[in-house]
Amino acid sequence: MEKLGELLRRIGMLQHRDQVASELQEEMQLHLDLRRQQQVEAGIAPDEAAATAHRRFGNATLLREHSYTTWGWSWLEGLLQDVLYGLRAMLRSPGVTIVALLSLALGIGANTAIFSLMDAVMLRSLPVKNPQQLVLLGKGNASGITDDFGTTQLYSYPFYREFQKRNQVFSETASIFSMRSDVHGTVSDRNQAEPMQVQMVSGTYFPLLGVQAIIGRTLTDQDDSTQGDHPVAVVSYSWWKKGLARDPNVLNRTLKIGDTTYSIVGVAPPEFFGTVVGESPDIWIPMSMVEQVPPHFKGAYSGNLAESLLILGRLKPGVSMAQATTNVNLLFQQILRHLRGSLSQDDAKALKKAHVLLTPMATGLSGLRREFSDPLKILMGIAGVVLLIACANIANLLLARSTARTREFAVRQALGAGRGRLVRQLLTESMMLALAGGALGVAFAAVASRLLLRLVSGGPEAVPLNLAIDSRMLLFTLAVTLVTALLFGTIPAMRATRLELTQSLKDRQGAATVRGKALLAKSLIISQVAFSLLLVVAAGLFLRSLINLTRVDLGFDKQNVLFVHLDESSAGYKDDEPRIYALYRQITERVNALPGVQGAGFSTFVFHEGSWNGSVQVAGAEKPSDVDVKHNVITDGYFSALHIPLLAGRDFGPQDTATSPKVAIISERMARTMFPKGNPLGRHYTLGGKD
Amino acid sequence: MSSNRDDIPPGTLYLLILKTLVRYGELHGFEIANSIQQTTEDVLQVEEGSLYPALQRMLIKGWVVARWGTTAGNRRARYYQLTAAGRKQLSIEISQFERVMGAIARVIQTA
Repeated sequence: MEKLGELLRRIGMLQHRDQVASELQEEMQLHLDLRRQQQVEAGIAPDEAAATAHRRFGNATLLREHSYTTWGWSWLEGLLQDVLYGLRAMLRSPGVTIVALLSLALGIGANTAIFSLMDAVMLRSLPVKNPQQLVLLGKGNASGITDDFGTTQLYSYPFYREFQKRNQVFSETASIFSMRSDVHGTVSDRNQAEPMQVQMVSGTYFPLLGVQAIIGRTLTDQDDSTQGDHPVAVVSYSWWKKGLARDPNVLNRTLKIGDTTYSIVGVAPPEFFGTVVGESPDIWIPMSMVEQVPPHFKGAYSGNLAESLLILGRLKPGVSMAQATTNVNLLFQQILRHLRGSLSQDDAKALKKAHVLLTPMATGLSGLRREFSDPLKILMGIAGVVLLIACANIANLLLARSTARTREFAVRQALGAGRGRLVRQLLTESMMLALAGGALGVAFAAVASRLLLRLVSGGPEAVPLNLAIDSRMLLFTLAVTLVTALLFGTIPAMRATRLELTQSLKDRQGAATVRGKALLAKSLIISQVAFSLLLVVAAGLFLRSLINLTRVDLGFDKQNVLFVHLDESSAGYKDDEPRIYALYRQITERVNALPGVQGAGFSTFVFHEGSWNGSVQVAGAEKPSDVDVKHNVITDGYFSALHIPLLAGRDFGPQDTATSPKVAIISERMARTMFPKGNPLGRHYTLGGKD
Repeated sequence: MSSNRDDIPPGTLYLLILKTLVRYGELHGFEIANSIQQTTEDVLQVEEGSLYPALQRMLIKGWVVARWGTTAGNRRARYYQLTAAGRKQLSIEISQFERVMGAIARVIQTA
């Protein structure tokens, strides 16, 4: 309380500083006058009286200053003075100022932009309750559905339920379907299907993360209790905003996805984007509905060994990662044995090898992170070098300017300014320059980081990452700015104030200082050239890699190829329906009839979209191969449309139907490895060799 | 200038000012200096000017408040008056002073 009053009085004084000074002057003058008068009355000569008064009073000027500085604002007044003076100095040489500001804005801006990307992708914790307690089973880089026995990356739904019941190290557990479903759904009262990204999660997902709906409710374990009869959905805030125009009656709306109509039961909070950094699903649906959501994964909910889930848990307080790993692995063995029933020899071997690794989930899952961590670190390093070059550049400019200001400093030192005071003045000027540059840099970064994001996105829509200007980013920028100011400001300030006074006061400057400055300037230029060379070489190498990349042989002719994604499920088609093939045929024919089209075909996957992996058993071979063979399902026309030549045999044709003998076209590499002897044409293999 | 005469530690200066104000109520700077000198019969010689930094500090601390008035000679003067906080401070200063003096006295007696 006392301190507060004191602070308030100090601040109050700031508003009438001039008055305080003049009042001090006045009351001291009164004191002197009264003392002199007293002496005169005592019979002392007027001259003598005045002298005595002054002697008894002490050094009035000094005492007045002491009284004034007692208020504790001299640093602020000094700063204000320095800032105003610095402003004048900056305006006096606008060329230097503009060049310095531009280089700073670019240097600091680049660093800020890349930092904000790094922060979003690598550093920032998920916006959920106590993210540091979250742990994932496995490494989190697998997605799909597999029956590969003993995998430690993906888990079946029955496994998850059993694990949830029996584990002793997690207070809560949840599972996430490892594939996001990009579907087309219809909002109630609309007649057109729209693209939407659906993420299926266990009912415990939201409670585990501690995420509360801002409207309605989130999913609960109840929604996930029995298969197929809980058509409910939670929508993301951004989709509610974009897709539903913030409809306040959102809870009365429904969504039709596939054949099922879902009631919207809640809207997630704005900051919540799920658990994968760089993705933001529009809709969350309970796992119990997995077979209803296209592409209708059969058995993903009930199949004992249909492994398709990521499992995450919240560590109980006091449980270490090592303890958790032990418990999880013990359960893993027990539950898999139980789910399998009887183990074959291969199963036993697979189980013996399996070890579940736990991964901290505080920063979320991210394919983006795996892909871009290293490039971002490299970019950050490059941006740092760019800033160093800018610093050297500005230091040189300031050095040149300080040479021009030598006389000014000499005069000020001669008048009694301390060297420390002059250095402070110069550093204040540098700091102002850096702060102004930093502010410009933040503006530049706001644009640049979005540009960078577009650059890495590669699709029509930018990767959903939160790159808003936040306190972390500003703090980073401020730190960079201060370091920058010290880097480019210190040497010129020290140099400028080291003077041979008598030499400098004469018109010509001392020869020694000139030589010293020239040497310093040269070494700054040398470091600038060195750093620049480093960057040019690095940029050259990157460019070469880029050019090489565009020349990589992809195995098909990419010239003039267009592709269209088709979501037939949104039109009510189901997988494996015979009319789907009629649809494909019809579309192929119509497209082929378009002028300018040379060929057309369907495929499940196109370049860089993944594949359907499985092991194969070659008829006649003793053992199934350990190699996962990548499959793609296509129609005839695919090979000719992509100009992929067939080395032997024939393309698929109308004669290959659902009932005709099954046929496959294999790659040259598969022919070489799986059929090393003789012609593979006419030979057979079966899928899923391990069973 | 005449630091050899300024043999009053700053802490004691506060004590003297506070005590003077308690005794006489409202005084301006010259009156405070005068009354200290008269009371001590010129034994304590204060550098009179050092009163003013001390008064500013006491204003900040809230021990005294000031208002402008006129002197008998019809001149504008700043009058200082003790606050409640100032009274409390005075008793603190006194007990502190007595403690120090007592300790010194004991040293002298045992010697």
